[in-house]
Amino acid sequence: MAIPKRKVNPKGETVISVSGLTPKAARYSRIFDFLVVAAVVPLFAGAFHLHVMLTVGDWDMYVDWKDRQYWPLVAPISMIMFPAALQAIFWVNFRLPIGATVGATVLLITTWLGRYANWWIWTGFPFTEGVPSQVIAGALLMDMALIVLRNSLFTSIFAGFAFGFVFWPSNYSALAPFYLPVEHQGMVASLADMIGYTFPRSNMPEYLRIIERGTLRTFGSSVSWVSAAFAGFICIFMHQLWWQLGRFASQTTFLKNGDVVKSFMGMKSRRAS
Amino acid sequence: MRTRTVQFYDVHFSKTDVKVNERFELTGKFRLMEDWPDAVTPPDIVFVSSVSPGPTIARVETYLNGEPARQSFAKLELGRDYDFRMVLEGRTPGSSHIHPSISIKGSGPLVGPGQWINISGDAHSFAFPIKTMTGLQIDDLQTFGLTNAIGWHVAWLAVAAAWLLFWLVRPLFLPRWLVLQKGREDLLVSLRDTGAGIIVAAIVLGMVFGGYVRANQEYPYNVPLQSGLNKVAPRPASPADAEVKVISATYEVPGRSMRLATRITNKGSEPLSIGELTTANIRFLNQGLPAAVANVDPTYPRDLVARTGLELSSDTPINPGETRELRVEATDAVWELERLVSFLTDVDSKFGGLLLLYTPSGKRVIAEMGGPIVPVFTELK
Amino acid sequence: MSDAALGRTPNVTGTKTFSINYGLFAFAIVALTILYICARLYQQAFGFSMGLDASSPEFDEYWMTLFKIELPVLYGAGALCWTYLFLTRDKNIEAITPEVELRSYFYLTMWLVVYSFCIFWTGSFFADGDGVWHQTTLRDTPFTPSHIILFYATIPIYLFFGVGSFVYAMTRIPAFCRGISLMHVFAVVGPFLILPNLGFNEWGHAYWLTEEIFSHPLHWGFVVLGWCALALAGVLMQIVGRFRELVPIVFKQDAASA
Repeated sequence: MAIPKRKVNPKGETVISVSGLTPKAARYSRIFDFLVVAAVVPLFAGAFHLHVMLTVGDWDMYVDWKDRQYWPLVAPISMIMFPAALQAIFWVNFRLPIGATVGATVLLITTWLGRYANWWIWTGFPFTEGVPSQVIAGALLMDMALIVLRNSLFTSIFAGFAFGFVFWPSNYSALAPFYLPVEHQGMVASLADMIGYTFPRSNMPEYLRIIERGTLRTFGSSVSWVSAAFAGFICIFMHQLWWQLGRFASQTTFLKNGDVVKSFMGMKSRRAS
Repeated sequence: MRTRTVQFYDVHFSKTDVKVNERFELTGKFRLMEDWPDAVTPPDIVFVSSVSPGPTIARVETYLNGEPARQSFAKLELGRDYDFRMVLEGRTPGSSHIHPSISIKGSGPLVGPGQWINISGDAHSFAFPIKTMTGLQIDDLQTFGLTNAIGWHVAWLAVAAAWLLFWLVRPLFLPRWLVLQKGREDLLVSLRDTGAGIIVAAIVLGMVFGGYVRANQEYPYNVPLQSGLNKVAPRPASPADAEVKVISATYEVPGRSMRLATRITNKGSEPLSIGELTTANIRFLNQGLPAAVANVDPTYPRDLVARTGLELSSDTPINPGETRELRVEATDAVWELERLVSFLTDVDSKFGGLLLLYTPSGKRVIAEMGGPIVPVFTELK
Repeated sequence: MSDAALGRTPNVTGTKTFSINYGLFAFAIVALTILYICARLYQQAFGFSMGLDASSPEFDEYWMTLFKIELPVLYGAGALCWTYLFLTRDKNIEAITPEVELRSYFYLTMWLVVYSFCIFWTGSFFADGDGVWHQTTLRDTPFTPSHIILFYATIPIYLFFGVGSFVYAMTRIPAFCRGISLMHVFAVVGPFLILPNLGFNEWGHAYWLTEEIFSHPLHWGFVVLGWCALALAGVLMQIVGRFRELVPIVFKQDAASA
């Protein structure tokens, strides 16, 4: 396994040379890298996808839940959590500005995998009904802010806000065609409404949708931007909270083990305690 | 519980064999029972729907009392009747069990009688064309807009993959941590890396806002998701020609038999004969009354029509003005099969149902009845 | 199971060359992939055809039978593996050589990779299937075709590897025997608690909620327990921290012998 020898400064120092690893040690360290990546990808595909499904799943799952009031608000608030924690884990311990992108990327890939293997193959829902949201745009901005600002607090303030704020425009580009108007039974419907209506979910009556209702809106047509700004505001705090949680999760605390258990497990020496 | 909420009747499937993309209609009526159970939320927000094993059928149009039913309805009235009509279309070949259903917010779907619909043809030939108000003809609702959506997602994944690879090709965890411990952060994130980050940020912002502006230019007449509650008036109340009072009711567990002692008053102008007891989609017919037998739609699921029928202590019609005490017995294993004997385990042991009576001229009178029911665990003498 | 992959020490103290055996690790990944795909194919074959009506005899035959088989088999397999790991523990764990210790750390990492792999199938793949299944069909039993796989097959499988990694670490690696890794406990016990949390979930569904809003607060217990996955970062840091001490020793010996 080849280790790229990047000369990163004029003295010819590389990360490996400064780390003091011998070539063979560096090879095993690279194997370790592969193992860690092999753990990170499925672990966060599983944990993050579960988190998203059970906190804002309905908005993310169905095209006819993607409204202007709640979806751009609740989805980024929930979806910033794991990326923020991963950012802390990768940055604080390894100075890798990729944590948020890792989270957002595995989420989008695994979501589409589910859409294909479960939604389409098993229950037969058309892909249009389950187009998910993506947070890669916001996550990339968070990682970029971190590499420039190198400070979690400023990252929270600027990039946490950006994460929430760009959720609406960055997803609208992908979903705009689904908001075309159609006339159905003498009433207006968006294509998204029609998709949800045409391909029925037996256990999802129309009223179950938690979406914008009624007509009176103070800001008129800018409902979505108000939601985006509010989402950005909340995301500032969410980012910092989850950054701290990521740091907490990186701790190496060992609690004291009882002598009986230790000797039971094979620890003979008293010195160990 | 199901015997005391929504009673479906006159349910009719216009076809039971359809091809892919062929339409059929599901029509019927339902009564919202007056003696609505405490445990079920009242029908304040209601959606008319169908139950199918996944979207094996496509929903084309739905109506409640003639009103469009794509959205939900507010405040249906207890003790009143409603009729529904659904235009459906075969989508997935195979045999699908389709039911009408009435979903009530807080309680979930209450399901009507199901029928097997055989859908034949090629699954791939299904398409659902639709025309937008902007004049765009869409060939298939299943695929429209997908290229754009997936295209964007792939584009985002590509940018993310490039950024991740930019870092992942380097030595990662152990060496970086060791270098960090030595205070050599300069080796880990260089100025060049920061510059790359700024470039990626610019690309991201360009994609976000450029894409948004383009989408707005391309789709200037978009509308938000449409929602809101509709109002609908119930069907005109039928005259209360018959009054049915349940004096006592028992359910004999070993014999699977419901026995009712009733007091029926004919308040109409014609004699009345008991034709049918229906509850939770199960129908017990007075097989000696031709009008009752003729009332069973040929498409009605046979397994929901009890074979033994309804036994009455007296078959002679009840004359106008007469009040008669009658014993009514409905025996069939279907009580157990359809799991309707939940009053054996419920905290509120009550039952409900509709009694259908007929006049000699063929007029049908629907009377609601119900009350407490006592299970009998040993055979009655 | 090979001794090497399980980190048994006896005959390697004199060896100067460091190596790792990937056999069991690769086998676990391949076997699990096959197992999960078979489970999904079973759902595909018998979900709609036999699994819609919990009161039907077909449901009993195809689904409840599977349920009754998988529970004892999967928990039994877990218990056997944990017992085996315990019985084959190093009886003098303080005395192991740096090579053996380093190798054990690599094997612990592999345990955690397999654990993560199981978390993916459970938390993402089958949970997603559960979501779409329950919005498609009516729930008439706690034991639905998606629950019988998600809750009663994939959860015992990840417990096999989660608890397995813990027992492995405690019986093979001095630091994990001397003290109890707080984050390892979080990472294993959090997802483990999802199982008892099912009681709350089903109770809620029975009494409050017959409609499927997937993001309903009733489901948030699972979410909080899923957050515990983050704690594997702490275990990673513990491993990396010990690597700093072990790697120079192990590879210096290696260099000297070369």
